[in-house]
Amino acid sequence: MLMQTLVTGIAVGGVYALMAVGYSLIFSILNFSNFAYGSIIMLGSYVGFFSLTSFGMPFPLALVVTMLVAALLSFLNERISYSSLRKRKAPSLYFMISAMGTSIFLENIVYATIGASFKAYPPLFAQATVDLGGSTIGKLDLFAIFFSAAAILVMHYFIKHSRTGIAIRAASYDSTIAQINGVNLNYVIGLVFVLAGLLAGISGVFLGLKYMAYPTMGWITNKAYVSAVIGGLGSLPGAVVGGLLLGVLESLISVYIRSTIRDVFSFTFLITVLLFMPSGLFGKYLEEKV
Amino acid sequence: MTETEQFDLRIEGLNVYYGRIHALNDVSMTVPEGQIVTLVGANGAGKSTLLMTLAGVLKAKSGSLTFGGQPLPDAPHRVLAGGVSLVPERRRLYANLTVRENLMMGAHLQTKMSVIREDMERMMNLFPIIRERVKQYAGTLSGGEQQMVAVARGLMSRPKLLLMDEPSLGLAPLIVRQVFETISGLKEQGITVLLAEQNAMNSLEIADYAYVLETGRVALEGTGRQLLEDERVKEAYLGIQKKSVEQ
Repeated sequence: MLMQTLVTGIAVGGVYALMAVGYSLIFSILNFSNFAYGSIIMLGSYVGFFSLTSFGMPFPLALVVTMLVAALLSFLNERISYSSLRKRKAPSLYFMISAMGTSIFLENIVYATIGASFKAYPPLFAQATVDLGGSTIGKLDLFAIFFSAAAILVMHYFIKHSRTGIAIRAASYDSTIAQINGVNLNYVIGLVFVLAGLLAGISGVFLGLKYMAYPTMGWITNKAYVSAVIGGLGSLPGAVVGGLLLGVLESLISVYIRSTIRDVFSFTFLITVLLFMPSGLFGKYLEEKV
Repeated sequence: MTETEQFDLRIEGLNVYYGRIHALNDVSMTVPEGQIVTLVGANGAGKSTLLMTLAGVLKAKSGSLTFGGQPLPDAPHRVLAGGVSLVPERRRLYANLTVRENLMMGAHLQTKMSVIREDMERMMNLFPIIRERVKQYAGTLSGGEQQMVAVARGLMSRPKLLLMDEPSLGLAPLIVRQVFETISGLKEQGITVLLAEQNAMNSLEIADYAYVLETGRVALEGTGRQLLEDERVKEAYLGIQKKSVEQ
C-alpha cells in the first residue's frame, strides 16, 4: 500500500514537476507568472485526446503531435499576448493581466466549440498493472514517471550545456547585457516558450490520461505554480523538487487521511514554506558583487 | 565599403532623452581607428548614456552614429555583429554563470568552437587570474577579478572598437593601474578604445584624444596632454586647486 501510494505520488509529482519547470523557465526570463500556461496544457490535453480518438494515432505519435502543437500554441501565446508589452517595457502586472485574459479566452473558446463535457482518454494503460515487490503498480504511473524524468533530464542537459542554454540562463539573469553580448532576445524568449510548450504537451497528455480532458483543467496547474514557488520561482532544480514533494505528500494525505483535505494541505504547505523561506527552497542565485 | 575605409566612429549632433530629461545635448565626437579616446565627466554627465546609445540599448532622438562609414544598427546584437563591443559599468557579469560561461557569452556570435577555445586561451594569458577561476561562478570573484573577466568577455567577440564604461570603478589603486596598462595594450593589438572614466588622471595619460562631458554637452576637447594641462580640468577633475593670485 505504501509503495503504491509513493509510486502514484511520484507519478503525479513528476507531472507537477514538468509543468513547474515550464512555469519556471518562463518566469526566469520574463519575471512574471504566466497563468495562460495552464490553458496551453489544457489545449494540449485536448489535442492528445483527438489525436488518439478522432485520428486514431498510436500513442507515441499522438504524444509527439501534442508536444509540437502545444509548443506552437505556447509560442503564439508569447507573440500575441506579451511581445508588444515587452517592447513597451510594461510592468509585470500588465503581463499577468494579459496572461489571465488569454487564459479565460482560451477556456471559453473550448466551452464554445468543443463543449463543457469531460473527455475520457481511451483506456491505454488503465487496467494494466505491474507487480513490484508485492504491490500492484499502474503502468500509467510508470509511464508518467519515465516520460517526466526523461523530459526533465533532456531539458536540464540542454539548459546546462548547450550554447543556447547558456544564453537562456544569461538572458534570464541580465537581458540587457545578454543583448550586448549578441543575443537576439526575441529569438531566445520565443525559444523558451517553445520549450515550455513541449513540456506542456507531455503534461497535458498525462493529465488527460489520469483525470480526463475538460475546459477548466488548466487550474490543476495551480499545483504546478505551487510547486514552482515552493522550489523557488525561477530555479529549475527547485521546480523539480517542489513538484515531487507536493505530489508525494498529496498522495500520502489522500490515502492515509482523507482525499478531500488534499488541496487544503497543499496550500497550507505552500504558505508554511513561504513563511520560513520566502524565496522557496532553492531561492535565486548568488547576489552580484558591487 | 572600400578597403581604404577607416573604421572610425563618428557621432554627429546626437540627442538622447530619458523621458523629459535631455541626457545628451547635441554631442559630436570622433574616435579614429586605432586610438584611445577618453570621455571624462562627473557622475550623471552622460558618459554611460552615450556608451549605451552606441551599443544600441538606448535610442537616440536625433543625430547620426556611423562606424566605418556605415550607420550603427539600433539593436544591440547587431551592433556587436558590426564589431562594436561594450564592457558595461559595474561589470555586470552573469553571477549565475561560471567564468568560462561568461566568456562563452562574450563570444556568443562566434560559431566556431576552435576560435572560441583559442580566444579563451588568449584571455587566460592576458589575465592569468582567469585561468584559476574558470570553473567558479562569476558572483564569487573579487571586484578586480570581475573587472578582468568583464574586459575579457568584451574582447571575446574580437571587436574592432571596444567601449569601456568606468573600468576602474571600485577597484584598488594597484588593480586600477593594471587595468589601464591592459587598455594601453589593446591599442597595440589594433583595437580602438572609447573609454568613459571618472578617474581623469589615469585615463587622460593613456588617451590620444579626450572629451569632457558636462551635463550632456561636450564642454572641452583636446589631446590627453592638453587636457591634463588645462586649468579647468585640473580644478574640476584632477583635484588640483588653482592658486588665487588676484584678490
